[in-house]
Amino acid sequence: MNNVIAQLWPEIALFVTTCLVMVVGLSKDRGTRKLCAPISAIGIIVAGYLAATTSVDTATTLPFMAKYGKVLAAGVGLLLLMLMAGTADRQLEDAVDRGEKFEPLRSTRAEFYAFFLFSLMGLMLCAGASDLIFLFLALELTSLPTYVMVALSTRRDRSMEAGVKYFFLGAMGAAMFLFGFALIYGATGSTALADVAYTIQNRAAGTGSIGPLALTGLVLSLLGVMFKIAAVPMHFYTADVYQGAASSVTAFLAFVPKCAGFFAIMLLVGCAGWAFGPDGYGSGTALPPELRILLWTIAVLTMTVGNVLALLQTSVKRILAYSSIAHSGYMLVGVIAGPGPAESTLASNGLAAVLFYLLTYGVMSVGTFSVVAALERRRRATAADAAIDEVDHIDELRGLWKRQPHLAAVMVICALGLLGLPPLLGFLGKLPLFTSALGAGEIVLVVILGLNSAIAAAYYLRLVSVPFLESGEPSTPDAVVPTPFPSRALAGVVAAVLVVVAGLAGGTLGSHAERAGTFRFPTKTMEATRHASQPTSTVSVPPDAAERGPNAR
Amino acid sequence: MPTAPITLAATDLSSYLPILILVGMAVTFGVFNVVASNLLGPSRTGKVKEKTYESGMDTIGSAHKRFNVRFYIIAMVFLVFDIEIIFLYPWAVTFPNIDQSTPDALLWLGRILFFVFTTVVAYVYGVRKGVFRFD
Amino acid sequence: MNWMLLLLLLPLAGAALVAFMPEKSARQVATLVTLLCCVPFLAMVGQFDWARSGVDQFQTTAVWFEPLGLSFRLAADSITMLLVGLTVLLGPICVVASYTAISERQKTYYAWLLVLQTAMTGVFLARDMVLFYVFFEFTLVPMFVLISLYGSTNRKYAAVKFFLYTFTGSILTLAGLAYVALEAARANGFWSFDFEALKTAARGMTFDQQKWVFIALMVGFAVKVPVFPFHTWLPLAHTEAPTAGSVVLAGVLLKLGTYGIFRFALQFTPVAAYEYAPALAVLGVVGIIYAGLICWVQSDIKKLVAYSSVSHLGFCVIGLFALNGVGLSGSVMYMINHGLSTGALFLLIGMIYERYHTREFKKLGGLASQMPVWSTFMVFFAMASVGLPGLNGFISEFMCLLGTFQAGGTTWTEFGMIPGRFGDASLLPGATFGNLGPWFAAFAAVGMVVTAIYILYMVGKIVWGEFKAPGHSAHAHNHAKGHGHDNHHGAAHADHAHGPLPRDLSGREIAVLVPLAVACLWLGLYPSPVLRTLEEPVAMVVTQVRADVLRNAQAALPADPQTADAHTPALLQQAATITEPGRR
Repeated sequence: MNNVIAQLWPEIALFVTTCLVMVVGLSKDRGTRKLCAPISAIGIIVAGYLAATTSVDTATTLPFMAKYGKVLAAGVGLLLLMLMAGTADRQLEDAVDRGEKFEPLRSTRAEFYAFFLFSLMGLMLCAGASDLIFLFLALELTSLPTYVMVALSTRRDRSMEAGVKYFFLGAMGAAMFLFGFALIYGATGSTALADVAYTIQNRAAGTGSIGPLALTGLVLSLLGVMFKIAAVPMHFYTADVYQGAASSVTAFLAFVPKCAGFFAIMLLVGCAGWAFGPDGYGSGTALPPELRILLWTIAVLTMTVGNVLALLQTSVKRILAYSSIAHSGYMLVGVIAGPGPAESTLASNGLAAVLFYLLTYGVMSVGTFSVVAALERRRRATAADAAIDEVDHIDELRGLWKRQPHLAAVMVICALGLLGLPPLLGFLGKLPLFTSALGAGEIVLVVILGLNSAIAAAYYLRLVSVPFLESGEPSTPDAVVPTPFPSRALAGVVAAVLVVVAGLAGGTLGSHAERAGTFRFPTKTMEATRHASQPTSTVSVPPDAAERGPNAR
Repeated sequence: MPTAPITLAATDLSSYLPILILVGMAVTFGVFNVVASNLLGPSRTGKVKEKTYESGMDTIGSAHKRFNVRFYIIAMVFLVFDIEIIFLYPWAVTFPNIDQSTPDALLWLGRILFFVFTTVVAYVYGVRKGVFRFD
Repeated sequence: MNWMLLLLLLPLAGAALVAFMPEKSARQVATLVTLLCCVPFLAMVGQFDWARSGVDQFQTTAVWFEPLGLSFRLAADSITMLLVGLTVLLGPICVVASYTAISERQKTYYAWLLVLQTAMTGVFLARDMVLFYVFFEFTLVPMFVLISLYGSTNRKYAAVKFFLYTFTGSILTLAGLAYVALEAARANGFWSFDFEALKTAARGMTFDQQKWVFIALMVGFAVKVPVFPFHTWLPLAHTEAPTAGSVVLAGVLLKLGTYGIFRFALQFTPVAAYEYAPALAVLGVVGIIYAGLICWVQSDIKKLVAYSSVSHLGFCVIGLFALNGVGLSGSVMYMINHGLSTGALFLLIGMIYERYHTREFKKLGGLASQMPVWSTFMVFFAMASVGLPGLNGFISEFMCLLGTFQAGGTTWTEFGMIPGRFGDASLLPGATFGNLGPWFAAFAAVGMVVTAIYILYMVGKIVWGEFKAPGHSAHAHNHAKGHGHDNHHGAAHADHAHGPLPRDLSGREIAVLVPLAVACLWLGLYPSPVLRTLEEPVAMVVTQVRADVLRNAQAALPADPQTADAHTPALLQQAATITEPGRR
């Protein structure tokens, strides 16, 4: 029991913060209400610190992923929190400023930050999941709050519509992977990931295939989780939901469910995969052929559909939505590549490459979304609260270089990073995907990855060059002005600085990812370890109660 | 690495056959009844026959009445605290069996108090949001 | 004192400085910084051991990204020194030439020009493959900015096409490099992208692997050079770029491609390079003639010179794939010479454009009467471009053609009998091992004639004949020609048809052209110091290629002693004792 609690200190810290935030956000005093964000920040920092110092290796095939995943969640979560300033309750607070009474029933600030923290908590739980049921709970805890966050993000109909779409499709995805988990349980007789992995791979070693029930279960679970990462064919919600939600929430969606999804995918594929190398069981080079074909097709489709459809968009958020689909595709290449031979480094361990890419992608996507989030469209020459809307169309970014040069610089750096231009961080994230996939023999996939990066260059170049163009005609009734929340721009600047600096000196980050991606083949001893870490009763029972038992009263 | 395969519960899908038959029968039953009554039954309608039933009288007003959302909220609040009670039951039943002199007992008490604390937070949240204001 | 690091960091520091300076002094800071860059370069020239010019000197290593085995590794051999010298020479020339051309957003312009200088220098100095790739790709961003902000009418399309085309090609090069690194990691047990380690691993690959790696590497370099079917970005990019952009694009950026071929495609995959040499040479020859013919029908001078770059670099390509000493040396010389002469031609065209705002043949003519100094330089550099003996173009063109001509034989060398492709050249004295031959040289020589035709045609029309220029026939020339920058010139043009610039070249402009002219003349009359420094690295490459081809041919020989050639035992013995000179 204590071992289990020891794994959960970061999440417990976040949970306590959530409780605080839920109460503080409803206080009558304006100053106390505004403490929601700082309290959340402190909570995330504490959670990150606890994750870095007290993490326990999980008894799964990816034992070191928990610590890396939790610290990653805390780090990028902090950047996302900086973006969230002013998303909830902006009109309400302006009304209070004008003298109206604060009505807690109409306020959404407490819930918003609480859901933010809940979702981050779910992400951390996902990273440390060692059981199918645990994994399901964690995935649901990650996504359910995001449905509400999307619906609450603006007061316009489109975010409500986006929230409903997201909810229905997300529920369908959840049902799919739950069914898959059930089938996996049916095939292996256990829900612990270590046991599942051991059983499936043993059966595969004995009979040559992993069995139809386990395969169906794995395929269904993977398809359900593909919804989270917005892979084709489960990507249809992405553009509308990303566009309908407020930009800060979109940034959240672009990172957190994707991260959770990839943790889940790596754990699930780890149950079956990378045991069928040319040297036989345990050589660790290839997936079972059915899974490989499925993942290969999904990866290629995802990359291509994401990139090609992004070329046609005129809305910045939709471009970034399709680009995030494409990046999911790139990361699936790493999943297919697998952990490589034993003692593999970042360059040959596809799973480590995926974990590192999640870090680079998270930082860069925060940067690009922060530029959109830090701007708003306001009717010219009107009262302060009149008709504020989000910046969405790409032409609204024109002339940004003159008006807000720091935002233009952030957009340029982060878009070039997403493109994969060296020496920025994005290139360092993409290179291990190349090398690990080549090491696994996936040459065609690498060529497709390269060509897709080139296609992506077309729309990233648009994002890069638009801020340098002259502004549109001043005859439009709207002016694009910065939002009154400086932390949004600050998040972008921090992200851009990280992209440049870590691109030049990010060796330690890479080595952490390398360690996190270490794949441990399921063995009997691992099973024994898991049993040992299970809650054994440390309670001393009075002798007479033990004889009679709890029912003998 | 062990080499002998482990035999587990049968993954023989034929044992799921009865379920398939059951589902088939249920679907068939439903479909058959509706289709058969549509095809075989008479179809005599009239203005009086189509009217909504309200104890033989002519209907007054619309059936779509609105009711206050407080009933829905109360049900939700009940759900939250009911789940808490469900978690309290096993604890309450096993806690007396713990030897009270050990520090473990305090630990177990502390854990359930933390859980109750979370419910208190939910209660405070609910009070501020006005869920307990019935009027 | 690490001169190479200084060479790299100085322009970057200059760019940062320019960003914070007031607008007016941006150009002075940029000039100063680029002139200062000559100092570390001259120091390097002084300290370089010219006797061992093939060996990488000044080696510098630092850790960059350990988990992937990336390191920051720089070194210089004579080829690098020559190309870096070209870059360092063209740097201040470009800056000074832009004084009057750019009047708006000067800080951005000079800052990016300086960043471009760092990137280009870094490409030549890098000895870690990923570092090379980083600098190679990073040249795209400043060029994109320069073209899209400061170019002419069609600049957006040109910049995007340039970026996307080159980026696509280099992604495939990266895939090839990653594959070679993978082979090296498998052989060595640890990941590294060091040039020497990768070279050893690459040369150890089987022919099938080398084939694909060669194709992958060549795609990126072929787009950059550009080789015939991949050249469509170049005329657009050159014509739409501002003057200094065109100079640096033609002068240095195209050489990144040929340098890449020399350093990587030929040295990593020598056997595949030998096998595919005819194919590449065919593309080169087609490029020479086809691009030459297109030049002949151009109506825009800048586009003419741009296509002439494609044509000239066709010579460079066939020289490279001749795979013998003469051809390779000629090719490297060509890189330098083309940079000098075509760069100067673009400068001259830019000077005309600043005065008359047109580049059309129909609108310009007989400028010798009004601008004698300009005309002198124009004829001079045009002759250098044509390949007039006495100027630099002749040396390199002749050497490339000679190398191609000789590279055909089934020859007996100190390594034994190395099969050639187009047999009877073996009977010619001086024939070397290689896969090309007299036919290739013959067709390429036709290209020489075409070059002469279009260059002389251009020079004849513009320099001599009846004088015509816009502003003399019609006073209100259309500003809708469109600059990337403002039209302040419009007001100032009221009285002078050639703007605020003097009618003939100003002192600054002459100062920009003179170093290029001197270099052309010197390299034309006395190229032997340069050629001598090239001997050793070129000999190293040739020896490596020959050894690998022979080894490959041995592996393909039947093992049956009856059918084997009588000389085979001797050959095998010789193959076993091959040591490559230059490895110390």
